[in-house]
Amino acid sequence: MSNVILSKVNKIYGAGRTGVHAVRDLDLTVNDGEFMALLGPSGCGKTSTLRMIVGLEAITSGDIHFGGVRVNDLEPRERNVAMAFETYALYPNFTVEENLAFPLEVRGVPADERRRRARELAELLRITEILTARPPVLSGGQQQRVSLGRALIREPAVFILDEVMSHLDAHLKFQMLFDLKRLHQELRRTMIYVTHDQVEALALADRVAVMSNAALQQVGDRNALYNRPTNMFVADFIGEPPTTFIAVERCDRAGAIELRAIGADIVFDVAAERASALDAHGGRRFTVGIRPQNLYPCDHDPRMAGKVVINEYLGERSILSIVTGDVTLRALVPPETRLAPGDHAGFSLDPRDVMIFDTESGVLVA
Amino acid sequence: MAGEAGFEHRWRHVRLLFLAFLGLWLLFTLFPLYFMAITALKTTAETNLTVPTFWPEVFAFGNFAAVFAEATNFDALVDSFVIASLNTVLSLVLGTLAGYAFARFPRQAGGENLAFWILSNRMFPPVAILVPMFFLFDSTPWGTDSIWSLVILYLVFNLPLATWLMMVFFRDAPPELEEAAYLDGWTPFRAFFRITLPLVLPGMISVAMLCWIFAWNEYLFANLFVGTDVRTYTIVIPTFTHGSQTLWNLQMAFSLIAMIPPVTLFILLRRYMVRGLSLGVVKG
Amino acid sequence: MARLVVEGLCKGWDFPVIDDLSITVEEGEFLVIVGPSGIGKTTLLRLVAGLESPDRGRILVGDRDVTRVPPYRRNVAMTFESYALYPHLTVARNIASPLQARGLPAAEIRRRVEEVARLLRIDTLLERKPGEISGGQKQRTALGRTLVADPQVFLLDEPISHLDARIRHELRSQFHTLEDLRRVATVYVTHDYAEALSLGDRIAVMGNGGRLAQIGSARELFEQPATLFVAEHLGQPTINALEAELVDVDGRLEAHVGSLRLPVASSRRDALARVGERRATRRVTIGLRPQHLRPADELPQGATLEGRVDIFEALGSTGVMIVDVGGVALTALTRPERTFDPGEMVTLAWDPAALHFFDPSDGRNLLL
Repeated sequence: MSNVILSKVNKIYGAGRTGVHAVRDLDLTVNDGEFMALLGPSGCGKTSTLRMIVGLEAITSGDIHFGGVRVNDLEPRERNVAMAFETYALYPNFTVEENLAFPLEVRGVPADERRRRARELAELLRITEILTARPPVLSGGQQQRVSLGRALIREPAVFILDEVMSHLDAHLKFQMLFDLKRLHQELRRTMIYVTHDQVEALALADRVAVMSNAALQQVGDRNALYNRPTNMFVADFIGEPPTTFIAVERCDRAGAIELRAIGADIVFDVAAERASALDAHGGRRFTVGIRPQNLYPCDHDPRMAGKVVINEYLGERSILSIVTGDVTLRALVPPETRLAPGDHAGFSLDPRDVMIFDTESGVLVA
Repeated sequence: MAGEAGFEHRWRHVRLLFLAFLGLWLLFTLFPLYFMAITALKTTAETNLTVPTFWPEVFAFGNFAAVFAEATNFDALVDSFVIASLNTVLSLVLGTLAGYAFARFPRQAGGENLAFWILSNRMFPPVAILVPMFFLFDSTPWGTDSIWSLVILYLVFNLPLATWLMMVFFRDAPPELEEAAYLDGWTPFRAFFRITLPLVLPGMISVAMLCWIFAWNEYLFANLFVGTDVRTYTIVIPTFTHGSQTLWNLQMAFSLIAMIPPVTLFILLRRYMVRGLSLGVVKG
Repeated sequence: MARLVVEGLCKGWDFPVIDDLSITVEEGEFLVIVGPSGIGKTTLLRLVAGLESPDRGRILVGDRDVTRVPPYRRNVAMTFESYALYPHLTVARNIASPLQARGLPAAEIRRRVEEVARLLRIDTLLERKPGEISGGQKQRTALGRTLVADPQVFLLDEPISHLDARIRHELRSQFHTLEDLRRVATVYVTHDYAEALSLGDRIAVMGNGGRLAQIGSARELFEQPATLFVAEHLGQPTINALEAELVDVDGRLEAHVGSLRLPVASSRRDALARVGERRATRRVTIGLRPQHLRPADELPQGATLEGRVDIFEALGSTGVMIVDVGGVALTALTRPERTFDPGEMVTLAWDPAALHFFDPSDGRNLLL
């Protein structure tokens, strides 16, 4: 059992009024064998959290358990965690094999055993052919793999990856995503992946923990984060291109509820089952969030219509920016769409895809 | 709560030990200064006691006035100040221009030889070239026993240092900033003064301090080169004698006064000497 | 009239960074140069800016030959990948720099700086120093400094590659709508193909050895890549490229990859036949973009293949899977909200009209 449980964990740097609350009442459970991503913008507290898990940072209050054992007072080396860093930190004068085997050598593992395990891991990471090379001649992607291998070789209970892909260029990153995913599928180790890049987090992790302002905002898989974000921060942070937010006002007519955009001629229908949530919440003004991939071009009787200002052709898809009244909408459309700036375009959407938030608190209402 | 104590407790002893060591070291380095200060306040009789006292019996503040009984002693301070300042200005102007050339055009400027030029200055004791230098200077228009003789002589020591340090500072200043300035329409000459020079200003001030302090404190060459028309304060210090007896109190009082200019300069310029102005230029 | 003309430009003898490069950028055109890192894109900008001088070739701005004109007399503005803001000057004075260089009166400078700052939404930061603002704000300041100069040519070097996805989106929209940029000749360098496709009126793909691999509109490049290099560089996930042999089966043409039999669309057959007459071999490299290979229910009218899911990842707006089809690993796209488990059998459909054919020896597109 090597799950990781954080309960009511706080981190405060400094003391008194000048203290900075970097992590606030964090409750998070990473199951045994789970791949969890810790995602958030810079300064959200994810790095402090990671450092507390590894043991590089003291915990101000709260508890961290690894497989039922409280590790608050254990030194990093006593915790059986391994960590791969953003920078590869390989020893340039060692060969790849020596680099891989080094953590075992430190622990006094016999030479043939070291060799066997290094080869095994190299196969898994597909770096067998470069075992005798030295780091300076390797590409960025190869170096990153060696560095992952070095962290993995001592078979840690918990494996932590800190922004390991931020130095790789787009094509390599893509390759690396698959490699990491496969690695996890084969090893089934508890892994925690820290990143600010939502694409990486969503692609790799079984579940993603979104942090902001020192606090956990939501934990869930892709569909939960996309379709049921707990608040406007998550709705805005997760998703690419960004969600469009529109201020709306509630209008009741003939038993049905409509949300009318303020400053634009858009009306959102509210299905009956969600109406009760709006009733329970009260108030007339809300903010509606629409994901660009949920808008479908439609010519007759569109839900909303406007003038195209930008058509960004991106090869696999196009992003349209449409202005209607004071609102700029974005829509993700097939690349075949041939709308030019100035053209008129109509869109429909499924009322269930409309996210309704409380304007003040940002919390999802329905 | 427990975690905090458990982790940080281990470091407390190490820190205490470190502080204790630091205290001892401070005591060791400050003692000569303390002894200098109290000696300057003692009477001549007290300075000659076989068992030294660590607190003056009588405070002889008159020592500070007595130092200037000889009017030329004050002139020596002025001469030292003028020599050190002129030399600093020259070292800085020439060193900045040369350093820039070495930093930006290493091949054309012959940058590989710069390190040797500087090291060659330290390859023999200065006293070895003392006499040849004297004869060399004697045959120049500015001769010896003049302010310019020392100003130029000190360039031998200060210019390589200034050039080297300025080169390092210029290397740290991103060339892209100058390129951006060219594209803004500034000529290379104006871009240098507008963009690059302000970036290395903290470095320049440090270099100026180093050059000035060297020239201010130099004794060996000054003692031989000047002494009649021009005198530096360093060659005045050994002259506080009465017959065969050294007037320690006057010597220390004069030395204390001679400390005022460099200390004042340091305090005034301290905040400019902090590096790091170029942080945030690039990305971040 | 200020179009930018680059003629037969060469830089670097033993290892050419730029090799016999000719491009014309019309007035008002937004040209994006895209290519892998370290391939001479930045060198090209520096040559046009006058920060480096070419070994051979000419650079003309309008009718004026500026090949030997120093940068400060070229009337060319450039943003640097590192932004190159002057750290000791405020945002306002950074932006004012090109105007001050021309000796404009202070009131005029003030007015124009404020105008540009408002346009770029940095007007509240004018008194800050570059060290005190965020990356996106630095980029806007750098952009402001080039915009205010009112140059004849704009050069933009990887202006948004170091920013967060969110700010990149926003600035990309801004590049689309900034009229000052759209009025003169602009050269924009990036390694990000999506940025290139999004922004460029025309896009030039630079390949190895400092040569242009292809130049054209976004659709031309993506839908009719001149070489396999262009096809591989544009698009993510990377195009499926497979060594294949063309075989006639009962009067129909098929591409055989191992045990895979892929029908060739009739529209391509005649063109391939013509090419085939000139070629001794029938070996080709076929390219199929992952977006044209999907689960059968997402692409109803396509040809089908059976395979086993090897790995599946849900990215933001697509799902990507690698499928083992008869021993060949193919990348396919799906809608993102679906999930597939490794080992699951899946029926894929693909669009034969979207198949590309390249020469395996030099990578040229056989149908262009």
